[in-house]
Amino acid sequence: MKRVICGILFFSTLVVAQNKSKNHLPDGKAGSLQNVNCKTCHTCDVPTKQNPCLIECPRDEMITVHQTAEQGPDVIKIDKLTNKYLPVTFSHKTHSQMSAMSGGCGNCHHYNTAGPILACADCHNTERKREDISKPDLQAAYHRQCIDCHKEWSHSTDCNSCHLEKGSPITHKVTKGKDHPKVKEPEKLIYETNYNKGKIVTFFHSDHTKLFGAECISCHQNDNCTRCHDTKNVQTVSSTIPEKISKTGSQHHQPCFKCHANDECSKCHLDKPTGPFNHKTSTGWALTRFHEKLECAKCHENTNNFTKLNNDCVSCHKNFVTGKFEHEKTGLKLDEIHQEFDCGDCHSESNLPDGKAGFANKPDCSGCHDDKSYPKDKPGSLVKVIKK
Amino acid sequence: MEKQNRRSFFKSAGLLTATIAGASTKSVKASPENILSEDRMGVLVDTTTCIGCRNCEWACKKTHNLPAGELNSYEDKSVFKEMRRPDSSALTVVNQYENEKRINFPINVKVQCMHCDHPACVSACIVGAFSKKENGSVIWDTDKCIGCRYCMVACPFQVPSFEYDKALDPEIRKCDFCFERTKEGLLPACVEICPVEALVYGPRSELIKIAREKIKKYPDRYIEHIYGENEVGGTSWLYLAGQDLAKTKALPALETKTAPGVSESIQHGIFAYFVPPASLYALLAGIMWLNKKKKESSEGE
Repeated sequence: MKRVICGILFFSTLVVAQNKSKNHLPDGKAGSLQNVNCKTCHTCDVPTKQNPCLIECPRDEMITVHQTAEQGPDVIKIDKLTNKYLPVTFSHKTHSQMSAMSGGCGNCHHYNTAGPILACADCHNTERKREDISKPDLQAAYHRQCIDCHKEWSHSTDCNSCHLEKGSPITHKVTKGKDHPKVKEPEKLIYETNYNKGKIVTFFHSDHTKLFGAECISCHQNDNCTRCHDTKNVQTVSSTIPEKISKTGSQHHQPCFKCHANDECSKCHLDKPTGPFNHKTSTGWALTRFHEKLECAKCHENTNNFTKLNNDCVSCHKNFVTGKFEHEKTGLKLDEIHQEFDCGDCHSESNLPDGKAGFANKPDCSGCHDDKSYPKDKPGSLVKVIKK
Repeated sequence: MEKQNRRSFFKSAGLLTATIAGASTKSVKASPENILSEDRMGVLVDTTTCIGCRNCEWACKKTHNLPAGELNSYEDKSVFKEMRRPDSSALTVVNQYENEKRINFPINVKVQCMHCDHPACVSACIVGAFSKKENGSVIWDTDKCIGCRYCMVACPFQVPSFEYDKALDPEIRKCDFCFERTKEGLLPACVEICPVEALVYGPRSELIKIAREKIKKYPDRYIEHIYGENEVGGTSWLYLAGQDLAKTKALPALETKTAPGVSESIQHGIFAYFVPPASLYALLAGIMWLNKKKKESSEGE
């Protein structure tokens, strides 16, 4: 018997292992664990640690590297190239925070593979005279990355905004621990459109970011520092909403359509401004107590396409089974006798006043007791509701 | 560059004329060093990357022993108010033009000798001082130069300049593609100093490939034209831009015909196979024969 069990165990591990390795097979369909075709980064069929056979930069297809600003280094000392200037202290964290609003890490770490985040010097040669002239050398790579953004909002390519000359009294610019100030976001934006059947579109900005879990960059893909920091056009950092940018109809719809592609026009285009998202009016199922405070993604796994869920408690709360459910969390501590019953014994159709099943409605006692009724009689004692 | 004084030049010129009498016209057009090499070098200028720092202007002057001044003084952006041309005191200059697509982001265009594949200056130079070298550079021998300034007139980019301010021994000056530096394996001074590598030095054929890929990859950034790929039969210096540089008047609008092609075809067409002298002699012989005949007939009367 033992041998048989061992055999089964061994066989099942084999199957699991095979399934796992299949995930990495670069057959183009299965994809790796990150759902990326291996050929995007590797030239050979079986990349190994010794020979990862990575495609030379610039790679045509890119993989976005996802990290939070705080996961990266705080500051980086750029001292690989020496000339008349002191090493540059680059405030990586501050810049990552800025990038997170539009474009993410991939703004600078372009052509990165799915693996570790590569530093500029990993691809860009420190020598200007070199074999491969298809990508810029390290000095040019640094300068292009920095100047491309800096010139946009300062309209200057002044060396001293980053560099300190050798022999200058200050040895480094203070950048450590600096945070980009929190970006204020509007609660709602009301658009007046040309659409005749419904001119008003109310966009609840904070609902989308806080509730629906939309990332800034999913809409603000092409917005850059200039949006707030164009010092030539706007004297200071504008504290209010940045000025409107004229966009075509399709440009306006494009960020919405990412999720609302299948919705009717009247979902957004109405005659008057609407209120914020309300789970009860939109779906018919009111969120109460604990549920109210949850992010949508806690229950709806696919946030790109919210689908109706089974509203039975146990469809999400897998641990809500007899003996394990802490009934006192509902405000009613069951007495010893009632603790022994199955949930369905009381929460059954026959026990519910209007014949509705489920746990949202409180059962009365008529199913078992002729002479008792809830809430006059209780199957336990009332306790203070535990709030999370 | 080999040394040759004026007297020895005239000697050799006389000798050359004598030998040419027996040779075909083709050998005049292509002396061995003027043959285009497959591996000739070039520079790809990306005007969308150039930030107009003018460090190249400084580096060029330093290398060519021209008064350069302090590098910091080149941060002065007021020079962009006027369009400048390369001259004997500055062999390369950067000009700034308005950007049609993004008003606040001007376009900077560096100008210098384009080092044509079929250089008009080489063709126009009556003493053979100019030559197209194997590495792509078009240079000249100061000792051969007689100061006729035909090169200045011939150049479609109006690049060669003359030291008019010098009373004694004025010379022709232009960008020499840092011939002395590249000979030693160094990069041209402007390419070496460029902080953003808006100037990429490499084999011309490879640069064209890179430029095409860039255009394909960033169609919003570049127009589909590599200036210098076909202009006047191709130049060593190539330009990528977000707008038509000829329309901006940053560089001249030129056809794909080689610049010396027109003048040379007329010259070599007429003078081929000694047609003019032969026909002149034939004409004279005819007149002589007619006169002789006239004389004979009058004598006979």
